[in-house]
Amino acid sequence: MSDLARPLTGFASMALADPFEIHIGPVFEKGARGSRSFAIRIDERHVNRGGVLHGGMLATFADLALGAAVFDATDGAPSVTLAMQMQFLKSARAGDIVQVQPLLLRRTRAFLFVRGDFTVEDEAIFTAMSTWKLLDQGHIDGDSGSNS
Amino acid sequence: MQAGSADDPYQEISLVGFNRHIGPIFLLAPEDDGTQRFVFTAREIHMNSAGTVHGGMLMSFMDVAMSKTARGASATSRLSTIALSCDFVSPARLGDRIEARVRVRRRARSVVFLSGELVTEERTLLIGTGLWKVVPSA
Repeated sequence: MSDLARPLTGFASMALADPFEIHIGPVFEKGARGSRSFAIRIDERHVNRGGVLHGGMLATFADLALGAAVFDATDGAPSVTLAMQMQFLKSARAGDIVQVQPLLLRRTRAFLFVRGDFTVEDEAIFTAMSTWKLLDQGHIDGDSGSNS
Repeated sequence: MQAGSADDPYQEISLVGFNRHIGPIFLLAPEDDGTQRFVFTAREIHMNSAGTVHGGMLMSFMDVAMSKTARGASATSRLSTIALSCDFVSPARLGDRIEARVRVRRRARSVVFLSGELVTEERTLLIGTGLWKVVPSA
């Protein structure tokens, strides 16, 4: 097992299916379905020229973690990200461990609203608010959103 | 012409770190109105298991495009993302040539306001707005 894949204490490696998530992973998880926490260990693949965690990596981790919360809340029903609003509060660096426990704010028949507050050593570094659309399984028309 | 081919006229901007890991990403010639243009081609590593380009990759591309555009004339300053909002209008597919089109809406002393979109030849994929912080160089 490579050093990158070594699980964090108290976490297990998350099974990833999406090629892009495998490409930027590993991702770690703990807790019961519906209240899972997620974590990543920042390495040299995730930073920019100044050694600071890239905003795109945080956006990707947000899509992954908040999407997993949607998956848990819907028993895996197909859904797409409609919108994500993100605020970058503080920079992080290689070696830092970023954690989030997504919060499902509301679920309606067709939409879910999920927020994530991301921390490094219990300090808030990033927050994301997302809107998701459940796909009508009989009519997946593929004309909206980004499946995740 | 294939982006990344030997006779490619575009400038690659994904040289280190995360940009290199998800790239290649190229800078294109700007529009006459100052709109900055960037491009990447969706490969297998960019996809999700539903067969569309992962939302994280689309947001990452928009972040890169807005960062480079915000940098603009103030090449010596350090810039960082304060806020980024993305609406996912339609999905992208494997092999799509995805172009980012980004404009500076206001450049103030300490912040830059941007708006942009990701498009293919056929459709709009993503609409975004961004706020970047400028840290003046000493």
